[in-house]
Amino acid sequence: MENTHHTGGHAAAHAEEHSFDKKAIWRTFWILLIITIVELVLAILHFSTGFPPKLLLNGTFIILTLAKAFYIIAEFMHLRHEIRNMIMTIAVPALLFIWFIAAFLWDGDSYRNLRNRYDPYHKEQSMPKKAPEHEGAKPGELH
Amino acid sequence: MANVVPANQKWWTGGKSPFNVEYGKLMMWYFLMSDAFTFGAFLISYGTVRFSSNSWPDPNYVFRSFPVIGEMDIPLAFVSLMTFILIMSSVTMVLAVAAGHANDKKGVIKWMLWTILGGLAFLGCQAWEWTHLYHQGAWWGRNPFDNIDGTAASTNFTNFFFTITGFHGFHVFSGVIINIIMLIMTIKGVFERRGHYLMIEKAGLYWHFVDLVWVFVFTCFYLL
Amino acid sequence: MANDSFHGHPEVVTTHEVHHDEHHVHHHKETFITKYVFSQDHKMIAKQFLITGMIWAIMGGLMSVLFRLQLGYPDQTFPWLEDILGRWARGGKISVENYYALVTMHGTVLVFFVLTGGLSGTFANLLIPLQIGARDMASPFLNMLSYWFFFGGSIVMLASLFIQTGPFSGGWTFYPPLSALGDASPGSKAGADYWIIGMALFIISSLLGGLNYIATILNMRTKGMSMSRLPLTCWALLFTAILGVLSFPVLLSGVLLVVFDRHAGTSFYLADIFVGGKALPNEGGSAILFQHLFWFLGHPEVYIIILPAMGLVSEIMAINCRKPIFGYMAMVGSLFAIAILAFLVWAHHMFVTGLNPFLGSVFVLLTLLIAVPSAIKVFNWLTTMWRGNIRFTPAMLFAVGFVSLFISGGLTGIWLGNSTLDIHLHDTYFVIAHFHIVMGVSAFFGMFAGIYHWFPKMYGRYMNNSLAYIHFWVTLVGAYLIFWPMHYQGLAGMPRRYFDYSQWLSFSQFSDLNKFISTVAMIVFAVQLLFVFNFFYSIFKGRRVTSTNPWHATTLEWTTPVRPGHGNWPGEIPEVHRWAYDYGKDGRDFIPQTEPVGPNESKHH
Repeated sequence: MENTHHTGGHAAAHAEEHSFDKKAIWRTFWILLIITIVELVLAILHFSTGFPPKLLLNGTFIILTLAKAFYIIAEFMHLRHEIRNMIMTIAVPALLFIWFIAAFLWDGDSYRNLRNRYDPYHKEQSMPKKAPEHEGAKPGELH
Repeated sequence: MANVVPANQKWWTGGKSPFNVEYGKLMMWYFLMSDAFTFGAFLISYGTVRFSSNSWPDPNYVFRSFPVIGEMDIPLAFVSLMTFILIMSSVTMVLAVAAGHANDKKGVIKWMLWTILGGLAFLGCQAWEWTHLYHQGAWWGRNPFDNIDGTAASTNFTNFFFTITGFHGFHVFSGVIINIIMLIMTIKGVFERRGHYLMIEKAGLYWHFVDLVWVFVFTCFYLL
Repeated sequence: MANDSFHGHPEVVTTHEVHHDEHHVHHHKETFITKYVFSQDHKMIAKQFLITGMIWAIMGGLMSVLFRLQLGYPDQTFPWLEDILGRWARGGKISVENYYALVTMHGTVLVFFVLTGGLSGTFANLLIPLQIGARDMASPFLNMLSYWFFFGGSIVMLASLFIQTGPFSGGWTFYPPLSALGDASPGSKAGADYWIIGMALFIISSLLGGLNYIATILNMRTKGMSMSRLPLTCWALLFTAILGVLSFPVLLSGVLLVVFDRHAGTSFYLADIFVGGKALPNEGGSAILFQHLFWFLGHPEVYIIILPAMGLVSEIMAINCRKPIFGYMAMVGSLFAIAILAFLVWAHHMFVTGLNPFLGSVFVLLTLLIAVPSAIKVFNWLTTMWRGNIRFTPAMLFAVGFVSLFISGGLTGIWLGNSTLDIHLHDTYFVIAHFHIVMGVSAFFGMFAGIYHWFPKMYGRYMNNSLAYIHFWVTLVGAYLIFWPMHYQGLAGMPRRYFDYSQWLSFSQFSDLNKFISTVAMIVFAVQLLFVFNFFYSIFKGRRVTSTNPWHATTLEWTTPVRPGHGNWPGEIPEVHRWAYDYGKDGRDFIPQTEPVGPNESKHH
C-alpha cells in the first residue's frame, strides 16, 4: 500500500488503508439486515395482532429508516471518513428537508380538512359506510 | 508514509482541495444531493397526497405475493427479499471500491461482477412485481385496491407507486449500465494504467445512493 | 475522528497545472469547430451563453412589446401585425389564445433562458476561473455539455412557437389543470409537451453548470486564494449554483408528474374538474401540490436571478468607487442568509390558493426575515459609494441603477409578503410592478453592468460610451415610467393577465395610462436594440484595449493578457496574497491581489 504513484493533476488519494476495513463493511451489512428484519417483524406483528398502534409503529419505522440511511451514508458511502467541512456541506443542505416535509404534509392535511368541511359529497364518498365487514370482501381486497 | 498531511494543515488557503478530494468525487456528491431532492420531491408529494386523502390502501394486503408460491399469508416477504438483494449488492460494491484502493484489479473485477448481478436480480424482482400487480389490474391511472377502511380508493396509490418505484428502477438500471462500463474499463486495464481506481469509487457512490433511496421507498410504500 | 482521518491522505492537488503547462505555448490544435462551436474554453462558453441569452432577450422583449400593443390599444387593429405574425393576429389584432401564449413565453424565456441561463451561465463561466486563478473549469467537458443542453432546450422552446396549436399559454408557472389537460386550451396540447421537454433540457444544463461552478470554486482556487479573499462575484455565483442544484430537481419532479397526468391517465394534480361541461373521472389529486413543488423551485429561482447581479454590482461598485467594499463579511453572510431563506419561504406565492392560514402566517414570518439580509446589502452598497471617488463608467451607472431598482422593488416585497395585504394585491398589476422592478429590470441592470465592465476582457475592446449612456438613461427612466404606474393600477385592483380592460368601468379609467406605458415600453425596447448594436459593433470595431488592467482593478482576471488563450495565463498561475478589495490603501490607488503584503503596510486581510 505504499503510495508510489504520483499521477499529478488529479492526484490519487487512495492510500487510506485504515478506512476500508472489511470488518466495518460486514458489520454495517449485519446492522442493515437486522434493522430490516425488525421492521418486517413489526409490520407482520401489527398486521396480525394490531399490536404496536399505527402511530407508534410509524414513528418506529421512520427512526429505523433514518438509522439505516445513516449507516449507508456514513459507512458505505464513506462520508464519516471525510473531512468535517465536507460532511457539513452535505449535512446542512439536507436539513432543508425538514421544512420541505413539514410544510408540505401540513398543507396536505389542511387540504383534506378543507375538502371535508366544504365538500360534503366528497366526504360522504370517502368516509367508511356503516359496518363494511358484512359485505363480504375484506377491506383492501381486490374488487 | 512520505507525504502525510499534518493535522494542522490549512485546508482553505487555495492551491488544493479543501476537502482533500478530487473534483469528480465532489461533483458526484453534490449531484447525489441534487438527485436526493428529486426523489425527495416525489416522496414528499406522495406524502402530501396521502395526507390529503381520508383513507389509503393497506400495503400489507397489496404486497403479499411471492413468485411460484403465489398469494402467501406473509405480507412484504418479496419486497424484503428485494431489499436484501440491494443491500447485498451495496456490500459487494464497497468491497469493489476497497479492492480498487488496494489496486487489486482481480478483486475489483470479482466484486463488480457480483454488484452487477445483484443489480440485475433486483431489476428482475421489480419486473416480476410490476407484472404481478399489472395482472391484478393495477397500473398508472388504474387502482384495483380499496382503502383500508373499505371505501373506494383514488388511483393515486398506484400512480405514485409506479412512478416512484419506476424512477428508482430507472436509477438502478442506469447504475447497472455505469457499473458494466466500469467493469469493462477495469478489465481493459484503464484504471491500472491511470494508477488509481477513483472512477470505481464514484460509481460506488451512485450505487449506494440508489440503495439509500430504496430504503426510503421501502419505508414509504411498504411500511407506513 | 476528523483529525484522525487527515493522516494518510496524500494531499490532493487540484489545479490543472500539470496538464496545461505541457502545451501552453501551442494550445491544442484548434479547428473552427473546437474553438467556436464545441469549445471547452470557459471564456468561449461564456460568450456562447451570453449571445444565446441576448437572442432570447430580444425575442422575449419583442413578445412584451406585442402584448403591450394589445393592452395599450385594445380598440385598434394593426394590419402589419398580420403580416409578421400571420394567423396569430388575424385582422391585425392578436387573438386571445396567442395573447396568453405571448405572456407565457415572455415569462418563461426571460426568467429561465435569459436571466438564469444567460446571466449566471455567462458570468459564472467567464469570471469563476479567471477570478479564482484557474486554467479552466473543473470539468471543461461537462461545461461544454452544459451549454449544449441549454442550446437544445432553447431550440425545443423556440420550436414550440411554430407548431400548429401554438406554444404553452397557461402562464410561465405551468399550473395544472391548464398544463395537465390537453383539452383545456390550444396551448395545452403539444405546446405544453414542448415546454416540458425544453425545461427538462434546461434543468440538465443548469445542473451540469452548477455542479461545475461549485466544484471549481471549492477545489480549483490558486495558491493563497482563501475563501475570504474571493471577490464577491465568486461568492454570489457559488450561492447561485447551490440554489440551482438543490431547487431545480424539485421542478423536474413536479413537471414529471404533470407528464403522467397528461399522458398516463393519472391524477396527481387533478380532482373535481369539468371541461366543456363534462366531468372528468380524475379524483384524489391536488392542484395546490403542484404549486408547492413549483414554488419550491420558483422562489429560489428569483434569487438565482438576483444573486449574480448582486455579486457583479458589488465588484463593479468597489472598483469604480476606488474604495474597499463596505462590510465584506457582512456581504458574504447576507448572501448566505438569503440562500438559506430562499428555501424556506416558497408558499408566500400561494397565500390565496387555500393554503392553511396558520401555515401561511409562518411563511409570512420567514418571508419578512429576508428584508434583513437584503437591507444589509443595500446599506453596504450605499456606504461603499459614500465619499467614494466615483468614476461614472457605464458599468458603474448600471450598478447604481441596480441599487435604486432593488430598493424600489424590494420595499413593495415587504407589502406583498404579508398574507393579509396579499389577499388584496395578489394577481394584480402591483405584483407585476414588484417583481419586474426587483428581479426583472434590476437583474438586467446587473447584467448590463457586467457586460460593460468585462467586455474588454471578453473581446479586447471597449464598448462605445456615448451609446452606453443613452442606453442607461433611457432604460432607467423608462423602467420607472413603465412599472411605477402599475403599482397604482394594482392598488386599484386591476388584475394581471387580462386581455382587454376596456370592458370594466373601474379599469377603463386607466386606458390612457396603459397607452403611455405601452409607448414607453416600445421606446425602451428600441434602446435595447441600440445596446445590441453597440455590443456587436464593438466586438469588431470598438476601441482597442491597450493595457491589461484598464479599470485598475485588483482581481486576477486583469493579470491575464488582453486576449487570454485557453489556459488563461501564459506562464504560471499567479499566487494571491491579499483580499480583492485593497483600493485607496496607504496612499495607493489600488494594490493587486498578486502583490505580497509589504512590511510597513497597514492592517490587511
